Amino acid sequence: MKTNKMIISWSWREIWFGQLWPVMVALTLIIACVVALSTLALRVEKVMTNQGRSLLAADLVFRSSNPIPNTLVEQAQKAGLTVSSQSRFQTMAFSDLKMQLVTVKSVETNYPLRGVLNLTNNSETVAHQVNPGELWISPRLLSLLDAKIGETLAIGDADLTITGVIKDEPELAYNPFNSIPNLFIHDADLEKTGAVQVGSRVRYRLFINGDLSALAALQQDYSLQAGESWVDQNKESRAARLMGKAKQYLSLTILMVILMAAVTLILTCLHYARNRSETVSMLKSMGASRAWLRIWLSTQVLIMFVVAFVVGSVAGLLLEFLLRLPLADILPKQLPSVGLQPFMFAIGVALCIGLPALLIPLTRLLDAPAINVIQQQATTHYSKTSWWLLLLPISALIVFYGSNKLVWMVLVGLLVLFVLLAALSYGLLKALGKLKWGAAFSLALSRINRSPKNSMMQLAALAGSLMLVALIWLIKSDLLGDWQQTLAADAPNVFAINISPEEQQGYLQQVDTLQLPRSDAFAIIRGRLTDINAISTTELAAYEDKDVRILKREINFTWAKQLPVYNEVVAGEWTGEKTVSIEQEVASELGITLGDKLTFEVNSQPFTATVNSIRAVEWQSLKPNFVFIFSEDVIADLPATWMVSFRAGQDQTPLVNQLARSYPTVTLLDLRTMADKIQGLLRQISWSLTGLAALGVMAGILLIFTLLRLSLSERKREITLYRTLGASKKRISHTLWAEYGLLALSAGLVAALAAEVILASLMTWGFELPAQLHPSMWVVLPLLAVLVVSVSLSSVIKALLKPLR
Amino acid sequence: MSQSIISVKNITKSVISNDNELSILKGISFNINAGESVAIMGTSGAGKSTLMSLLAGLDQPTSGSITLLDSEISAMDDEQRAKIRSESIGFVFQNFLLIPSLNALQNVTLPMVLRGNEDEASNNQKAKQLLNEVGLSGRETHLPTQLSGGEQQRVALARAFVTEPKVLFADEPTGNLDQKTAQNIIELLFKMNQEQGTTLILVTHDANLAKRCQRTLIINDGQCQESA
Repeated sequence: MKTNKMIISWSWREIWFGQLWPVMVALTLIIACVVALSTLALRVEKVMTNQGRSLLAADLVFRSSNPIPNTLVEQAQKAGLTVSSQSRFQTMAFSDLKMQLVTVKSVETNYPLRGVLNLTNNSETVAHQVNPGELWISPRLLSLLDAKIGETLAIGDADLTITGVIKDEPELAYNPFNSIPNLFIHDADLEKTGAVQVGSRVRYRLFINGDLSALAALQQDYSLQAGESWVDQNKESRAARLMGKAKQYLSLTILMVILMAAVTLILTCLHYARNRSETVSMLKSMGASRAWLRIWLSTQVLIMFVVAFVVGSVAGLLLEFLLRLPLADILPKQLPSVGLQPFMFAIGVALCIGLPALLIPLTRLLDAPAINVIQQQATTHYSKTSWWLLLLPISALIVFYGSNKLVWMVLVGLLVLFVLLAALSYGLLKALGKLKWGAAFSLALSRINRSPKNSMMQLAALAGSLMLVALIWLIKSDLLGDWQQTLAADAPNVFAINISPEEQQGYLQQVDTLQLPRSDAFAIIRGRLTDINAISTTELAAYEDKDVRILKREINFTWAKQLPVYNEVVAGEWTGEKTVSIEQEVASELGITLGDKLTFEVNSQPFTATVNSIRAVEWQSLKPNFVFIFSEDVIADLPATWMVSFRAGQDQTPLVNQLARSYPTVTLLDLRTMADKIQGLLRQISWSLTGLAALGVMAGILLIFTLLRLSLSERKREITLYRTLGASKKRISHTLWAEYGLLALSAGLVAALAAEVILASLMTWGFELPAQLHPSMWVVLPLLAVLVVSVSLSSVIKALLKPLR
Repeated sequence: MSQSIISVKNITKSVISNDNELSILKGISFNINAGESVAIMGTSGAGKSTLMSLLAGLDQPTSGSITLLDSEISAMDDEQRAKIRSESIGFVFQNFLLIPSLNALQNVTLPMVLRGNEDEASNNQKAKQLLNEVGLSGRETHLPTQLSGGEQQRVALARAFVTEPKVLFADEPTGNLDQKTAQNIIELLFKMNQEQGTTLILVTHDANLAKRCQRTLIINDGQCQESA
């Protein structure tokens, strides 16, 4: 119909002329955010479900840092359960051309008990089991080593021929920092590698399948020793927790974006409704029926939703791609498709926020009386029937987040913060008002102070959105900055571990001969802390604390004649016999003080030492560091492996290779290649975080811009009055600039203060990183505020000061 | 004898202001015949605009009856009155009230669209012809902000006449214009009125303008008197 065509083209222009475009941009932002996040979350979830039970490779897994006790295997077999054992360790693999640190999984023929192992020699799947003499490696390792199927690889001391590559395997771990490729050998070939010696780090697993009650009984009957644990379906993997944390960070940013966009939406709509009431009255006076007006307004709403949905979906998919980049290494190449669900979800969210925000003011608009074209009515009765629409977002919040305390806390927190910001900014302006100023500033200040409610709302909204913008940006920069600092220029970049005591002297000599600057060598002995002053650690309150992990697992001990120079002794002195030095954070977590007697256990052998000193340790420095350092007499006689770190330049790779070939069972952690990888990963993460942060900043600036334009256009009448009363254009414009400049400046300062406080708390308690000051923010934020104010002001001031008619 | 187009019988209008009932119109009766031009005059606050909004069906009297084109609009609801307005009534306002997002041509065709005339070509042709008549040919695509006050009121005149209304209400049509422009608009208004044979009801303060009308009703203290 032609009329419809006219209404559509008119509506389109009404959206731009009537300043409804911020609504469209806000809706687009909301849809883009929701599409991006839910697509990503769904994909990851699907990948995890697809892997499903096979993630464990069995119904129940027994994990230990010591060889699997025979009693357990016998007990399981007696109960009619199927078992399969696995030994897992890291060592060097050598091809003719290259070498690479790998994770070796030595398995039995019946592995896996659950899930699928697909092994292939070219394109065809040829096996699902690992047999003696076979070597199956990950495709990535094949390319890293420049090797081909059929060639020989040296794994430690053993030479094995590559049988083929791993296509699918169970036990996939979702850890973005786990970049070490793996390979499968058969248990029968394990000994040949020579990698498993006393003191070397091997993880043992016993996979168990069978009747649920038999499994439960086995778990019940067996009492776990130090370093042992059960894993079943219910136990959340570390990877899943990591994913959960990442999702929470994303959700928080997206919640902020959605909140700011929603406020933009509501404000713009309210303003539009106020501004258009005259037009609606006029249309009514010319005979427009309510039905016609409804079509007219709904066409505008529909256009905004459709445009926002199309643009938002495309932008959302792009954003999802960007967010997904850093996860490329851990997600399968072929990603599961997610269907229409994210789009439906995005529409749902947009409707929940958009419908009440748009329809409540627009329905009120329908009640604008026709008589207003001739006589402005003092009171108009607006129907409140559309207020039920508010139930949409409220019930959605209750349904989805009813029990999520964090969301409610954030919402309440924001509300409280809003009030605080308002009070703070207002106080600042009140204080400014007491000083002596020029005419324009005095007028501006008195104008601000005259309508405290309005000014406070404006200040809080301005300061709030500026603060959110700053937070989103700074969290990103602080996180990235901290990660990058880990890789200091002079830090050691190659770690040699698993050096046997017999090899130790020779190894150090060769490092010195090759003139690679090295650290001292440290013995590594794995053990546990069992008692503090004769009280078992299992009885400590800290034992139940999820964050204190040191009591539940084996850790690396070492001994030394002198403490490392890079460890500052903060209490006590490094002297005496049968003594131990402890790291200060662990000491405070466990309530250990100087003179305490600690009992440890290594290979079931208990021994005791007295705390003689407490040290400060910088864990991020990449230097060899230990929680417990013993005096020589305590543990020097226990079986140990050795470790040393050294620094090698990029051009010294041949030297490192030479070392590796001379000592094939020594594991080299070459951070030079890892550093490249981490840098690459950081670049990608920084891309996606910047994308997300930019979105947040956009939402914030849009909100500020909207706020200012609305506030200014509401001043139109007042300014006309001033003009009528003879105020010069210059005077009015100066006052306006002074008023909004002061607003922006104080909101900017308060926002900087609030952002600094919140950021410091977030960094200290949320991310456990050192808090730091951001002096540049104190300049940038007020400047940004003044800039946005200038843009908004100059875009409307001309219209405001139009000559009087 | 000419046919009565508006018949007002004993209407009153009161409003509640600060809990007090304020009587604006106190029992007014008169007839207006088809094709007549009538000026409504009176001091500020006398009730001129109130009377006009009642006659045009924008508001309803507290008591009494108003018959417009054989329909008793004082007994109709909002929607029914809107239908009558779209079919038979045109308006010219003091502050023009053009839609800022529509150009001159679209502003003029708007009443046709509201009326349900969906033939875009014929609507446009008619609107162009009227814009030509008010001296704005070539300015069809200009937005209201690109037009002067006088030009905007010409567009408003074209818009008022495009549906060939039986009754045209003009509320201080020259109130926002300078004297010379005002004169031009008045000439145009009366010329088009005569050409179309429309009944013209005009609220004004301007005695000279009132003189050009066939009749003048003076509102004073809520009562209506016909000026000699």
